[in-house]
Amino acid sequence: MSITNTHSSRGPSSRRSPREFFSSLRGWLPVAPFVGFVTVFLLMPAAVVFQKAFVRVDEPTAPMIEAITGQYRKSFIFSMQLSAITAVLGVVFGTMVAASIVRLGHRRGLRNAMTGYSAVAANLGGIPLAFAFLAALGMQGLLTKILKTSGIDLVGMGFRISNFWGIVVVYLYFQIPLMTLVMLPAIDGLKVTWREAAANLGAGDRQYWRLVALPLLLPSLIAGFLLLFANAFAAYATAYALSSGSSKLVPVQIRFFLQGDTITGKTNLGYALAAWMVIIMTVSMTGFLLLRRRAERWRR
Amino acid sequence: MDYCESMKKHTSRVRVLRGFAVFAAAGLLISACGSGDSSSDTSGSDTTAAATDTSCPDAALIDAANAEGQVNLIALPDNWANYGGILQSFRDKYPGIKNPVANPDASSADELTAVETLKGQPDMPDALDVSPAISQEVDTKGLWEPYKPCGWDEIPDVMKDADGKWVAAYYGIMAIGTNTTIVSDAPDSFAALKDPKYKGLVSLNGDPREAGAAFAAVMAASIANGGSFDDILPGIKYFAELKKLGNLAGTDVTEAGVISGETPVWLDWTYNYPGLEPKLIENGITWAIRVPTDGVYGGFYAQGGVVGSPNPNAAKLWINHIISDEGALGFLKGGAIPARFDALVAAGKVSEEQMINLPAPELIAGITFPTPAQIKAAKEILAAQWGPLVADQ
Amino acid sequence: MKRRNILAKLVLVAVGLFYVLPMISMARFAFQRVPVALLGWNNLFDRWTIRPLFTMMGNPIFQEAAFLSVRLAVLSAMLTLIILVPTVVYVHVSMMRARALVEVISVLPFVVPAIALVVGISGAFRELAPWFIRSDYSLVPFYVIIALPYTFRSIDNGLSSIDVKTLVDASRSLGASWTRTMWSVIVPNIRVSVVTASFLTMTVVLGEFTIASLLLKETLPLILAQSQGQDPQGSFAVGLVLLIMTASLLGLANRFSRRRNITQPVAML
Repeated sequence: MSITNTHSSRGPSSRRSPREFFSSLRGWLPVAPFVGFVTVFLLMPAAVVFQKAFVRVDEPTAPMIEAITGQYRKSFIFSMQLSAITAVLGVVFGTMVAASIVRLGHRRGLRNAMTGYSAVAANLGGIPLAFAFLAALGMQGLLTKILKTSGIDLVGMGFRISNFWGIVVVYLYFQIPLMTLVMLPAIDGLKVTWREAAANLGAGDRQYWRLVALPLLLPSLIAGFLLLFANAFAAYATAYALSSGSSKLVPVQIRFFLQGDTITGKTNLGYALAAWMVIIMTVSMTGFLLLRRRAERWRR
Repeated sequence: MDYCESMKKHTSRVRVLRGFAVFAAAGLLISACGSGDSSSDTSGSDTTAAATDTSCPDAALIDAANAEGQVNLIALPDNWANYGGILQSFRDKYPGIKNPVANPDASSADELTAVETLKGQPDMPDALDVSPAISQEVDTKGLWEPYKPCGWDEIPDVMKDADGKWVAAYYGIMAIGTNTTIVSDAPDSFAALKDPKYKGLVSLNGDPREAGAAFAAVMAASIANGGSFDDILPGIKYFAELKKLGNLAGTDVTEAGVISGETPVWLDWTYNYPGLEPKLIENGITWAIRVPTDGVYGGFYAQGGVVGSPNPNAAKLWINHIISDEGALGFLKGGAIPARFDALVAAGKVSEEQMINLPAPELIAGITFPTPAQIKAAKEILAAQWGPLVADQ
Repeated sequence: MKRRNILAKLVLVAVGLFYVLPMISMARFAFQRVPVALLGWNNLFDRWTIRPLFTMMGNPIFQEAAFLSVRLAVLSAMLTLIILVPTVVYVHVSMMRARALVEVISVLPFVVPAIALVVGISGAFRELAPWFIRSDYSLVPFYVIIALPYTFRSIDNGLSSIDVKTLVDASRSLGASWTRTMWSVIVPNIRVSVVTASFLTMTVVLGEFTIASLLLKETLPLILAQSQGQDPQGSFAVGLVLLIMTASLLGLANRFSRRRNITQPVAML
């Protein structure tokens, strides 16, 4: 009926003639530049990585297999552990922050400040972030010293920013804001009317959260988890700055092979590691997308 | 290809348009070559040494380099062995030639990538300064442009490639630096680093699987613990123990970390410390540098021109410069030992105060370098064992 | 009700401290020439200096890098909008089925981590189109790609919250051309999304390091990283200033919202 709806002019039960097929194909044409752009600048380089990962140069085992055996298997497991833990913690704290922002939504400035900073913090990483934490909580950190004068000796208690949990804390700096940004629209979508309806039907606070809000938020929560997981998995600059020499993370290993000064001639292994990373991320992001669509069903 | 040969080849590459003067100059030099090795004359008298320096590199090369007007350099931080000073002295000597440095913090592997990525383009690197490991790779890929700079014969054999593909203009020794403002007792040996009072305070400059300086530290530790150039395993085990004791901190050594005191005890090349001095003084920090008594390990970096680069003559001039007296003295100031150190000392060109940043002469005299084959074997053991023994614990 | 408000405030204060304290520590390091070990009540206010900031900013190399990054940021933002807005408008107006595909594509940059992308770029473009890599502006398309997940979300959300079809119908039936419709009708209605998407792209550009490093372009993040070796205090000082600037810009972007319905601001993700 409307001039923009060019595809509903025939009834649903009619067979599509070749002309209709082509005209529907033509409908995809305006999307082509976008697809083409992404293909050239993203998919092509990715394809190169995969192509090189399958090249074997007189090695006993194919690089793709070697990349997931022995110490590299441990690296993948460790990377996934770190990513999973920071993702879970990020989900919990990020959701709490998002909920708090919505709760205090009448303060416009607060929301703008938090979202603005969250967008920047979510992209932060690498040496500046690592150093900021070292400056705060490292052996010579400002906060470490302040706490020490107040009687809490972090160093003596064995806390080190370069330990596993120290790195988790630093990762949370960009995981929490990312989750906040993901959950804000979801929590916004919990319409006040539903809460009122639940109250009308006699549901208390706890019941509302357990039976109404949580199931509605669940897809977003899981989607957020997967996003945070992928985010942490790809990060390495921060962890490297904090614990070089002990690094078991996969992206750091890739660096050794492809950009390092010591190990040479093992670039295929580096590409294989990168290829496996892409595979893991694909699985993760597919889950994210599917869950996201589910979540959005209620938002519209 | 000896120096005279390369001269002839260079002449044939020069465009005919250059003219008569070039051939005349080349002819002069070739006849000089014919009368015996030019560099062997220098050990005779001081004045001849000076004469050799001004007649070599010859005017033709300088003209050609001036015509190119620029030499593209890469990965030369100002604070590394006083490259800042050496770059400046090059500019002072040849005012018509610019020497921009791309990406000063690039690793040696990044340099190789840059050469391959920028092939055929005007900003392709003309000369490289890379670790021995990467130098092998550059050689395998046939990217070194062979050239024997002036003073070739005064360079020890281990510090140059027989075919002139690369030359090592300087070397350093692995040393322990201590921020004495925070840690009053500076350790002076690998054994001393195991002392409980250094708990959580010792750092490596990067990961040995990736960074040349850290790799060298492991080799040095190996020597200190009964290993050798052929056996890096004791070094790996030493660091495993250091980590188990809790002495090895994970934090990467950066200038920021040194100034903030986060890494008060760290292992690095002797020539990386003088560059930190101004900042340390500014922040009120005192420091001490000690070469470990139980493990003396020297290491060099390889420099050379790149095949097919846009400014080959300027590149040759640059290589000449870093080997020359000015270059050598610049390295000395930075705490590195120049390749022609012995010849310079014999010719009386090095004063006491110029040696102030260097380790003791006895130490320098005793340094030997591992062969490329030994380095390759050691890297493989490291790649296989560092992860399981050290990183994963 | 009240109790929950207090809880919300506590959470935000705690998180706020978590965000701010490390930055304050870094600022203290950058602007005070006293190591923490020697810091005490007596010299708490000693040796503070803003000089690192000015030394850094006065450096011509830094200035060139800053100009380059600004140029790249503007171009990337423009390219993002040119590619995204028509595509997403078209999808919303004519071809909702394509939305799933476009959404999937927009998330792909997350799938290929920077370190893998970097080696792929080197391999793919080195042989095929070396002339492309030579230009400084070759970074622009990659920046657009990296920012894509965020920018698509922003534009998509903006278009979802207005009735695009009706607007387009009305505009077209009044005789406006497609270009006129886009420019004068649609874009003003998604002003917040457009501004947010632009700022997000710029944030990415001002923070991206890996690809610029591979292609040897001297961008601002690269110079900052390099100068951590020469002048760490200056580098961190400038880094902090950049951080505050970008956060303020992004926070301000939301202020442009004309919407009175405060529970439906434009989400960024």
